[in-house]
Formats: sequence, structure tokens, C-alpha cells
Amino acid sequence: MRVPYSWIREFLDIDLPAEIVVDRLNATGIEAVTYKFGQYIPGLITVKIESVEKHPQKEKLLVCKVTDGKDRYTVVTADLNLKSGSVVILAKEGASINGKKIQKVNFGDVVSEGMFISLPEIGIEDAPEGVFVLDSETPLGIDASKLLGLGEEDIIEIEITPNRGDALSIRGLAREIGAIFDIRRKEKYPVVSISQEFIPEIEVLTDKTHRYRGIVIKNVSVGISPLDVRLKLIKSGQKPINNIVDVTNFILLQEGQPLHAFDLDKIEGKVTVRYARRGEKIVTLDGEERELNETDIVIADEKKAIAVAGVIGGENTKVDECTKNILLEAAVFDNISVRKTAKRLGISTESSYRFERGVDIENLPNAQDKAVELIINTAGGEAVGEKEIYLRPYKPKLVYLREITTKRILGDVVLKEEAKELLERLEIPTEITDEGTVSTIPSFRALDLEREIDLVEEVGRLKGLDSLTPTYPKISLEGFEKSETFEFEVRTRDFFRSNGLTEVVTYTFVGEDIYSALGIPVPDIKIVNYLLKSQSIMRDNLSVSLINTLIENIKFQNRNLSIFEISSAFFPKHEEIRAGILVTGDYVRGFNYTENGRRFSTTQSWDFLKLKGVIESYIHSLGLFDISYKPANIPFLHPYESADVYVNGFKIGFFGKIHPQKSQILEIPENVWIGELKLRYVSRELRKEEEKGYLFTLFKNKPTVQFTDIPKFPSVKRDLAFVVDENLELDKLINALKDASGFIEKVELFDVYFLGEGKKSVAFSVEFRASDRSLSDEEVNREVERIVSKLKELFKGLHLRT
Amino acid sequence: MEVKDSILALKEGVLKKIEDVKTLDELNSLRVEILGKKGKLKEILKSLGKLPPEERKEIGKLANEIKEIVEKRLKEKEEAIKRSLLEKKLQGEKIDITLPPSWIDVGASHPVISTLVEISEIFIAMGFAVEEGPEVEYEEYNFDMLNIPKDHPARDMQDTFFLNNGMLLRTHTSPVQIRAMLKRKPPIAIIAPGRVYRKDADPTHSPMFHQIEGLLVDTDVTFRDLKGILKLFIEHVFGKDIPIRFRPSYFPFTEPSAEVDIGCTVCGGTGCRVCKGTGWLEILGCGMVDPNVFRAVNIDHEKYTGFAFGLGVERIAMLRYRISDIRILFENNMNFNLQFKGIR
Repeated sequence: MRVPYSWIREFLDIDLPAEIVVDRLNATGIEAVTYKFGQYIPGLITVKIESVEKHPQKEKLLVCKVTDGKDRYTVVTADLNLKSGSVVILAKEGASINGKKIQKVNFGDVVSEGMFISLPEIGIEDAPEGVFVLDSETPLGIDASKLLGLGEEDIIEIEITPNRGDALSIRGLAREIGAIFDIRRKEKYPVVSISQEFIPEIEVLTDKTHRYRGIVIKNVSVGISPLDVRLKLIKSGQKPINNIVDVTNFILLQEGQPLHAFDLDKIEGKVTVRYARRGEKIVTLDGEERELNETDIVIADEKKAIAVAGVIGGENTKVDECTKNILLEAAVFDNISVRKTAKRLGISTESSYRFERGVDIENLPNAQDKAVELIINTAGGEAVGEKEIYLRPYKPKLVYLREITTKRILGDVVLKEEAKELLERLEIPTEITDEGTVSTIPSFRALDLEREIDLVEEVGRLKGLDSLTPTYPKISLEGFEKSETFEFEVRTRDFFRSNGLTEVVTYTFVGEDIYSALGIPVPDIKIVNYLLKSQSIMRDNLSVSLINTLIENIKFQNRNLSIFEISSAFFPKHEEIRAGILVTGDYVRGFNYTENGRRFSTTQSWDFLKLKGVIESYIHSLGLFDISYKPANIPFLHPYESADVYVNGFKIGFFGKIHPQKSQILEIPENVWIGELKLRYVSRELRKEEEKGYLFTLFKNKPTVQFTDIPKFPSVKRDLAFVVDENLELDKLINALKDASGFIEKVELFDVYFLGEGKKSVAFSVEFRASDRSLSDEEVNREVERIVSKLKELFKGLHLRT
Repeated sequence: MEVKDSILALKEGVLKKIEDVKTLDELNSLRVEILGKKGKLKEILKSLGKLPPEERKEIGKLANEIKEIVEKRLKEKEEAIKRSLLEKKLQGEKIDITLPPSWIDVGASHPVISTLVEISEIFIAMGFAVEEGPEVEYEEYNFDMLNIPKDHPARDMQDTFFLNNGMLLRTHTSPVQIRAMLKRKPPIAIIAPGRVYRKDADPTHSPMFHQIEGLLVDTDVTFRDLKGILKLFIEHVFGKDIPIRFRPSYFPFTEPSAEVDIGCTVCGGTGCRVCKGTGWLEILGCGMVDPNVFRAVNIDHEKYTGFAFGLGVERIAMLRYRISDIRILFENNMNFNLQFKGIR
């Protein structure tokens, strides 16, 4: 909400600069800024139109003769509504509007000596189009910029938190600022007399209408509002419409009470406030046809709905230029009911916004009477009838505030005398009790102040939270827990970064397209009200996001990518924290040299085994060494260059090359490897089951390393080369070799050579050691013979290569 | 005295020869030539027998002196040659130390995660433990139990993504508070770092972002304590002299509530584009746990008090690294990411 500061000052004797007021509002809980209304423009004067004639040649122009009280000017205008006798604003020759200098301009045979001003033209938004017409008694020849307050008038714009509906008016702001600076707010009481000649027939059929009051005003003449009203509305960001509607908006701003004026002659019979019928339709004032349901409240006559209660009026009973008689409605509707309707219809009006946040039910007659007074003063007519339904009058709640509670919550005690003073500044009647104070909550804070804690906040904020000096709490060590999952992620992240991978953070939601491109099923969890279709599916793996990242980087010619992410994948019953890796392009970079002194580039590209190395080394860094691999069956990976990773027998992830067909579809390079490791299980339920098959669980439950003695006797090395079937998976041979003799300490593969004819040669360096003696050559030779014959039994066709 | 003359002449000649020697081989043959069994010095000494005893004694002494000098000089020369040989060898092995290394360079950190880890570590050091919850959350934990009832305007403060399974993407890390308090009794001192979601996208809002939530519940926790903890935290992240202000505000799950501003780190408080001319930057929200929240999790609010705070990690990372558009954080363009090598 924004309002001119001068409007607030009509109700509060305060002469502090707006900047100070705004600073203190911010310091006590209402966000506020201040700025000047528009910009001062020199050369604008008030003039009276003395005559209006059609332009001799141009049909769409008028020629006006105007006077500023001394001089006369001829002005050509395109606003065909202008009438002789109107006072308007003239930008004289030399004035500068939006950087354009006003000059004499020839329109056919007529020279225009200036330009009439409309407010949008001088940068005032929310003002009506067309030449701005002033009150007819406005003095002539005066500085019109000053008259409008351009560049001078202070505007205060506030943003309230949802609990402070009471501040959404001049009245409320005056009260708040008054409390801050300890100044009493002034009340202006309306003077109206309402006869009872024509009592409207009104019936309320819903208990969600807490108060309803209708007043009939007859014989109004609809026209333009006085300048003061129009300017206040414009400065508050509202477009003047006519002197009836303007008054309802004016009082809404000033008093915080939404009002609605119906054209009485368009109402057919009795008015009822009732629930809408399912499917009932109404065309609202914004021109939209709205379909209602049984929880919406409408104002209706005997034939039709004429307004959506608390939200927006109906087109069918709108006040227009021909309106003579009106029914002025002031009501308080249930905040939740209004909110539901406004939400469902997708509209938020000044009225619904205030009802949702609470309207002062006790101020209703005062606000409405002010409106009646203003309508009669500006549009004429007389108030001829009134009907009010107020079934359960406001009963103020008593709320106690103990001194001890202020101490417990704020840390400093607020003595009861001070509490009383602070609360009474906020117009909350308060008495002192033994333990503290008791307040009678006024109707304008009925929704907000219900509990002791609410009053702690009131005294706290009015005193200023900055006045509390910081203290340092003792944090209890009872129930101390290490932040294990956090530390686990940190060490994982540190490992991957140290191994050359760059951390990325991707959106956890993706589009369907990447799933169909990869040939995998779209997961179940979807965002219903997504912003973008490409951000509507909760991913069930990290690969989709990492591949999207690659695609985006290729657009920027970034073809070397070594990236990782630690983030969530989503499943129907749980979430997983995974580590995802994507690599392509350079792995090792830089220079190396040979013994003969040559220096050469050693750049190596990523490949399957290098990624396998990073993964295996990471798992080793967790102290886990029982790692094995099985061919993976993942539709977007190369069927013969991908593997599932097992640790301690649990499948904890996969990695491999992206399937060449998919690379082609995705238009990414062919040599891209990707992998995912399951780090942690995140439960959605409170009871957190220890899930198996996650690296964190395996890491946490692994036995501590137990030191064994450093060997006292030397080892003996032998190189052994075998010829085997070329399809033999080597880890089988390596494991068999390790198991073949109790003396084998280490087996290292150092050569694989394909011989053709379905055979390959594999060479190992094998280290033998006994813990209690030095092994002799003969002993080792015998052991080798034994091993070879054992392996021959296990692997058909295996023989030692000599 | 001709023997003496010839011996002195020999000395002069030999010392000169040693001087001129270039290689170890030459030096060795010179040694043999002079000091060997058939060497010149030996020959001279052999002829000593013919001399009278007086003279023999004198010449013998002289010959020994000469032998010592020559041996010493030979040794010095040998060391010098060896030294120069080693130097030559080392020079031959010279490496251009400015050549690019052969390496796997360290990867870059993501500025958001880096900031999240750093902030979390400050609170962990103070005694808070990290607690977590799922990102797909129950409406009850995300809103209702946090005193944000259905159909309350406070729900407008957070535009929510709803899911087809009846749950939602958590709009803040605050549901972790609820989960923590349902799981255990006070004292509770936790932080909850994590991803959160709001239906909002512009240069300062991302539909996915990160928050760190803090919660301290005990028998004697006050707003002054909250100020103390947050002051410590802010000073550690932004420096000792940074101005801090607590502005009263409203959050449904805390009362009293406040927003915390720090003096603008860009302009130093004089007013600029980043702080919208105010000189202040809002960095977090906080307050005392609302009794309704305690009621929802069955904690006696007459016995216990608590504070909670929540901060946006992106906001702090963006201030720190002078990033003006939040969206670039999640584009993962390597031209951006690789600028963040070597941060935490």
C-alpha cells in the first residue's frame, strides 16, 4: 500500500520528515520506503478554457482559447471531451515534458501555443488518460506542478506482514506511527443524517458474514470527484472513476473498510447474502464471467448474484453515469471464506486483500458514515434508509502479559508499568495486575493479538529489538551427536575435487524429453503446478541432469568436462543422496619428458578404466576394499562398456560409457562416461531405518583397521604368464590365483596380450612371503607348480606361457 | 748441490703440470709418473746413496716435503675436476621448471555448496548438530505444524510446488525443526542445511535454492541469546566490524520474529543498486519458537523456550562473490564454475 504522507498527517500532529518516519516503521516491524510523487516540471500553469471550437480543417482536433487570468493562449487538443469552463493544465512553450521541449506547433492554419497535460504523459501511472481536469474554482495562472505536488509530495509505501491487516489504512498507519512517536491520533467524526424513508430489504443467510450494513442514498449525480479526492487516489496508486466509486476507494484507503456501491435501480427485489449455488455465474466488474460454487458467498437479489462477497462487484449492478440511486454496502466477511474464494477465482482485490488480513468490525459504521458524508458532499443526494445485521457483536478478549514471560522470551524484563504504557500507545486498553498486565484486545487487532506471546512481541518491537544486548547461550551437550552424514558428504566432495572433478549443482526437476532420449521410464513424482514443463519431473537419477549439463556446455564449446554432483534422486517412498560423475575429454594434462631429454605433451583422455580408477579409489578412501563389478544393464549405457559396482556384496552404483546411439540422439560426443554411486538413504518417515546397500552405511559400519606386524622376512617375486581363453574375465583368474597359495601376498597384472584364435596371454607379477621364515627358491618353485596345476583345473585350456 | 737443484726443478715442473691437467686420466698418469714405483721422485731418491750423509739428510727431508706438497696438490686437483664433472652432469639434466606440470588439476567447488559447508561448520563448531529431512515433504510438517494453517495469508509468503502424490516440495528447511522435535526431547541444538523449493523465477529467485535452518530449544533460551549467536555467525562470515540490525517481522512459526540486516557489503552503507539505496542487506529471518509450534510437537512451552533462524545460502554466496543473477548458479557453465577453484 502506498499513500501520501500528508494524508496521514491529517490524522496525526507530526512534523518529522518522512524519512525518519519510514526508518522507525522499519525498526518496529512495518517495511516502508518513501519517495517523492512524480517529478517537478517547470512551465506548467493552470488555465481556464474559455471557448472550444472544432478545428477548421481537422475533424479530430479541437481549438481551445484559454486564459491564465492575464494572458490568453490558443491550444489545439485531441481530447474531444473538453468543455468550455474547465480548468486544465497547460504546458507552455519552453516547458519540457519527458525531455521534449514544448514549442509552438502549426496544426493546419492554427498555431497551438502549448499543450494540455494528461497525468500519464508526465509520468504518473495509474492516472486516467485524457487531459486532466482540475476543480473549476482552482486559481488560474498558478504553478500546476506545485498544485499536484510533483516532486514535493512525500509518498510512503509500506509492505505489511500477513498479521498486520490493521495497518492497511491511513487510520491504521496513523495509529502505528502515533504509537512509535507517542502522539495521539486524531479522529474526525462524520456528520450524517439517515432518514428511514426507504429501509432496504436485506437478509443474511450465512454465518460467515459477521456484519452487514446497507444504506440507501437517493438522487446522486454521478460525475467527476473533487481534485483532492482524485489526487489522493492517484497518489495512492488508484485510478479515479466517478464520484461514487471514488468515495468507496477513498474510504477503503483511509479507514481500511472495504465498501461497495450498487446501482439500486438495477437490483431486483430483496437483497440476500447467501452461499452461491454450484455453477452459478456472475460477470464481475473486471468483465470476466466467473463460475462459483457452494462455498463462495454472494450478494444476490431475487434474480441473480450481484457481487462476490468481499472480493468483487458484479457488472449487472455497476454504478455508471446514469445511476441515480445507490445501495452502499459495508460488511465484514469471514477472512478464510474470502481468501478461499479469491484464491480459487485467481483474483486479489484491495477489498479481498484486506478481508483476508482482518477488517476492524467495530469501525464499520464510522467508516461507512464517512463515505455517506463524502458522497452527499460531492455527488449530492440524501441518505434515506439503513439496515444493519450484526448478529454477534464483537466481544473483546482479555490477554494477560506476565513480566516473567517478557524476561523468559526477550531476555530482559519489561516492567508492567512500561508494558502498559507501550500497549496503550497502540490503543490497546491495558490494566496492571499482580504479575503483569491485562489487555482488552480492540477489534482492529482481533486476529493478531490472542495470546500472551503476541503481546510480548508488541512490547518487544515497540521498544525495539536493537535495544536488547546480545548474550551467548550455553549449548547443552546432553544428547550430543556427531554430524556424520554432513561430514561424509564433505569428505566425498573433497575427494572428487582433489581428483580433478568440478562440483556442479543442477535442478532436481527435469523434463520428460531427457528421459525419452535416454530410453528410460519417466519417474512417478511430478510437480502439478510446475513453472516450466522442462522442470516438472522429480528425477530418479543424477545422470539426466549431468547429461543436460553436458549439452548446455557444448553450446559454449566446453568439450572437456570432469564434473560431479552430490544431490538427491527421488523415489515413491524415499530419497537417495547420490554422487554422480560425468567425464569427457582431457583427464591428465601437461608435459612429461624422456631420458633422452625430449619434452612431450602427456595429455590423456578420459576412458573407462580412468573413471573406474576414480570410483575405486574413492571407495578405498572410505576404507572399503571388497569391490567387484558385474556387467550393467542400463539402456543409456554401452552394453559392453558399463558395469555395476558392488561393495561388500551390495550393489552401490554403476558407471560406463554412454550408449553411442544415445550420444547420437543427444548430439553429444561419443566418448562420454557417466557414473552414479548411492551414498545415503533419506527417509520421509520419522523412524529412520538403517538402509543397506549405501556407501554411508557400509562406511559407518565397517570394522576399524587392526594393525598387523610388519613382515620380518623377505618376499620372493615371480613373473607368471598364462595363456587363457580371450573372453575370460580377469578378476576371476586374479582371485583364483590369490586363493591358490597361502604364501601369495600380492598379485599384480602387468600385461594382457591378444594372441588370436580366441586366446590371450596375461602376465602377473606374484609376490610370495612366509611370515615365519625366508622362502627358498625351491620352495617357491614347488608352490608355483602347485598353483599352475590348480588353475588348470579351474580354467579350461589355461597353460603357463614359457 | 746439483741433486738439490734438480729436485727443486722437478718440483717446479710437476706443480706446473698438475696445474695444467684437464682430466682425471691425465691426473692419474701424472701421479704415476711422479710418485709411482718408477717415478721421478723415486729415481732421485735412489741416487741419494751416492751423496755425503750431511747432504743426504737434507735432500731426503726436502724430497719428503716435495712429495707431500705434490700429493696434496694432486688431491686438490682431483676434487676440482670431479666437482666440475658433476656440475657438467647436473647442467646437462637441467629442466625448464616453468613447463606446465603433468597433472590432474584440482576441480572447482560450487560457490553455493562451499558457502553452505562453511556456514554449517561455524554452527557445528558452536555445538549445533546437522539434522536432515526429505525434500518431498508432508504438508503437515511444512505448514500446519509450523503454525501456518490452511487458508491463512501466511501461505502466500511461500509459493509452493505441489506434487502428484499429495505431498509438496518443502518451501523451507523449517520442517526439519518439526521432525527433530518429534524425534527427541530438549535440549535440542540443530542446524538443517538443504535444498528448498519455491514457485518463483527471476534474477533474485530460483525455483530451487538452499537454506540453513537453526534451532535451539532449552529451558533458558532468550531473544538476546539469538542475537548473540547470530552476531557471532555474521562476524565470522562478513567480518568483525559489520553493522547488524534486527528488524521486527513476522513468521508464523516464531514470535517475536525479526529479519536481520547487515550493512551493505558492496557500498559500505552509503546506498547502492545492490542494497536498493538503503545501505542495508537482508540476510536472514529469525525469532523465538512460537508456542503453537511447541504445542504441535508436544513440548511444554511454559518450561522450554527456543529460537530458530533460517538463512538463504545463495543470497550470502551472491553477496560474497558479487554475483547478481541467481540463475547462473545452476546453469553449470564451466566458464562460471571453473572460477571457483580453491574455495571451501
